[in-house]
Amino acid sequence: MQQNAKLTIVATMACAISACAGENNEAAPDDAPQNSANAADAAPAAADDGNNGPVRPNTDPYPSTYEPYPSAATLITGATILTGTGARIDNGSVLIEGGKIAGVGADLTAPDGATIIEANGKWVTPGIIDIHSHLGNYPSPSTQSMSDGNEVTNPNTAQVWTEHSVWPQDAGFTRALAGGVTALQILPGSANLFGGRSAILKNVPARTVQDMKFPGAPYGMKMACGENPKRVYGQQGGPGTRMGNFAGYRAAWIEAQGYKKQWDDYWADYDEWDPKGDEDEPDAPSRDLKLETLAGALSGDIRVNMHCYRGDEMVQVLDMAKEFGYRVTTFHHAIEAYKVADKLAENGVCAAVWADWWGFKLEAYDTVRENAALVHAQDGGCAIIHSDDAHGIQRLNQEAGKAMAAGRRMGLELPEETVITWLTANPAKAMGVLDQTGTLEAGKMGDVVIWNGNPFSVYARAEHVFVDGALLYDRSDPKRSPRVDFELGQPGNDATGGAGQ
Amino acid sequence: MTIRNRTIALFLAAALAQGAAYAQDVTAIMNARVLTGAGETIENGDIIIRNGRIAQIGADLSAPAGATVIDAAGKTVTPGIFAPISALGLSEINLDAEANDIGPDQEVGFPLGAALDATDAIRPSSTLIPVNRAGGVTRAVTAPAPGDSLFGGRAAVIDLTGRANSITRARVGQVVSLGYSGAARAGDTRLGAWALFRETLDEARSYAANPNDYVRRARDGRHVIADLKALGPVVAGEQPLLVSINGEADIRNLIRVKNEYGLRVIIVGGSEAWKVARGLAAANISVILDPLANLPAQFEDLGSTLENAARLNAAGVRIAFTGTPSGTHNLRALTQLAGIAVAYGLPYDAAIAALTRNPAEMYGLGASLGSLATGKTADIVVWDGDPLEVTSAAEAVFINGARQDLDNRQAALLRRYRDLSRGDLPFAYRGD
Repeated sequence: MQQNAKLTIVATMACAISACAGENNEAAPDDAPQNSANAADAAPAAADDGNNGPVRPNTDPYPSTYEPYPSAATLITGATILTGTGARIDNGSVLIEGGKIAGVGADLTAPDGATIIEANGKWVTPGIIDIHSHLGNYPSPSTQSMSDGNEVTNPNTAQVWTEHSVWPQDAGFTRALAGGVTALQILPGSANLFGGRSAILKNVPARTVQDMKFPGAPYGMKMACGENPKRVYGQQGGPGTRMGNFAGYRAAWIEAQGYKKQWDDYWADYDEWDPKGDEDEPDAPSRDLKLETLAGALSGDIRVNMHCYRGDEMVQVLDMAKEFGYRVTTFHHAIEAYKVADKLAENGVCAAVWADWWGFKLEAYDTVRENAALVHAQDGGCAIIHSDDAHGIQRLNQEAGKAMAAGRRMGLELPEETVITWLTANPAKAMGVLDQTGTLEAGKMGDVVIWNGNPFSVYARAEHVFVDGALLYDRSDPKRSPRVDFELGQPGNDATGGAGQ
Repeated sequence: MTIRNRTIALFLAAALAQGAAYAQDVTAIMNARVLTGAGETIENGDIIIRNGRIAQIGADLSAPAGATVIDAAGKTVTPGIFAPISALGLSEINLDAEANDIGPDQEVGFPLGAALDATDAIRPSSTLIPVNRAGGVTRAVTAPAPGDSLFGGRAAVIDLTGRANSITRARVGQVVSLGYSGAARAGDTRLGAWALFRETLDEARSYAANPNDYVRRARDGRHVIADLKALGPVVAGEQPLLVSINGEADIRNLIRVKNEYGLRVIIVGGSEAWKVARGLAAANISVILDPLANLPAQFEDLGSTLENAARLNAAGVRIAFTGTPSGTHNLRALTQLAGIAVAYGLPYDAAIAALTRNPAEMYGLGASLGSLATGKTADIVVWDGDPLEVTSAAEAVFINGARQDLDNRQAALLRRYRDLSRGDLPFAYRGD
């Protein structure tokens, strides 16, 4: 009991210091599942009657401290607008007010004092979202001392949280901003069956990762199929085969089911326990960070991001998800998604893919450039273009352009207003932040990019990038171009804008 | 003449006849916007291809009687894309040792370096060749990569026909790692890399001066004779070194060593090369650069910038492109690199030249390859739009004057899986 009492104190203190998860819950999206423990965690209220309440581990001990930067009301006029909802408005306007999208349409009037940006000939899109990035955990410079993306010490490291590796001074964040990226998911690497928790960030330069954390975003978890785990662990105790991979996943899920049941039973027992009765207060189970993350995935609070190249393996993973009652949100890399696109759509799973990378390993041999288009073409199909790369993230728009062109060439109808969803609404949906960003709809975050032309062109460049309505990147204004600490006082590149060099 | 010899003779005669018939084919590409690779644009241009070469090029030509005519109105025509560095034919799957011959593993003590020769292992039937050919790539430099040695071995130029003999020219350059990647092979210090580099060049000179004397002399055995022999053309200033190097200080040192030893040098990487642009131009050093490099990836890359290509070109340095996402498997995306360089200040014609003429000239093949002019080898691509645009595609590709099949393994996979409805037979019976 002593240990449990200590845990209660720790949880309560964390709540006090961190201003409690409850505050963040106010901003939490409806479709962003929060651990049911949050509410109770925020209200350890029953103390007065001598009952401290059940132990509920804090689900948000490193809470977001992100606050939007000040912004002027801004009206962008005369642009070709891709809303991210599938609509295109020619010669349209976007109004950003109070950091939020206030209106999108053909005819908007600027409120008094608003900044007006005449964007004739320009294109406007929602901020680009990269669902697969290693910025911060594999930063520049890519020295061994800074490579913090893969905890290659055990095939199951579900206990690590990659936010504890993310270095906010990675110059890659600023380059991505100049590429129009306003939000991103940082994932642990793919060496392990279970790589750990992801971090979902607003792409704002910051002193701490907490200052970047996307308010209310659910956690993701990284898992990996196929070659990588067996390559890394084949000579180190296994898994050494794909069947070993699955045995490893399943053993972990069985353990996590047991762990989840322990806690569920404990909370149920606590509810039934009568403090005035004869029975002792129920004992809380011991906490286990690894199993806590896995249990969160089982309950749906933590979204499963599965690195998987081969179609047949994806379908096996879908069966495993049914076996243990969890959901896979997105298959990442998904080179062969097109071979099983029907099954992905039936199961409501997104495929995050590159436009044309291939062949670096055998499970990446069978790519087609029509992959994203074929995934999208299924009824309910969800295609995402991801980067997994500090350079690729700077031009996801062009990568989508290649995938779009390939799809059109095979006869699919893929207008720009559709293809933009592969970079905005779809990743936002998969990451659990669609109710906050990912489209240009009134009330959403003012995450907006003005492009010099069609964003799916090789010559496209982001000219203005707004995050929550704040102009954080302006290609024509060096004062609106961030430089990270690492770049200060270094021999530079003689370019006027740091991020846009 | 024995029967066996007669059979061979007949076979040869048949092959020659076939080749001759082939060569007599005349193709006329008419009414295109022609970018010559040499800086000229011919609006409404025509190209007559005969015997594998460009017989005529200009505006208002007439297609010869009997010629195969391609109406390219509204299309753009360029020289074939010439990949300035790759491992095409040496690697099918990078991470599978069974399907990767790019170079020796590191830290296994494999003794040879400079002696390795790409022509020994190039596999023209690699699926990467048709995939890249469909993207308009007609020639590529195929280079080995270093293992434990600073030197990687000898690169070759190949065509992308996929024919058994697709070597255009063997031993066009010798690969060497300096800078950070060299240091990693020389005691983890640039001091080691430069000292080892010079020492090896000295030994190669010494060997070249008197091979018999050299082999008889007592040596410490650190230098393998085969490597020193292979470096003969390098120290003679005939064969260029393909030097992996990025930082400004390293590049300045490279210019000094080049002048001291009378070397020919092509830089691969050169993220800070723009800082030494005038020196590179004066030293006649070409740079194969990654136009996407704009991160402080290592301390030698602090000055990297998207304007590297534009600045080097403006200073008169001959440039070409390479990049990880447009590496060996994806050379078809070199055009995208060129487009990005244009977006950051490189003149359009210079970008086209960097994809075509410049690589040919770097390797001494500019007289026959890399540009469109009368008498040149007919490596030609007809594009359905701006060749640098990511949404454009190659519609017709000619190598040595012969129109190429643009089908490839990825196209076959698409045919098989574009319709996922259950058929009367399994997927394995669909497409080909």
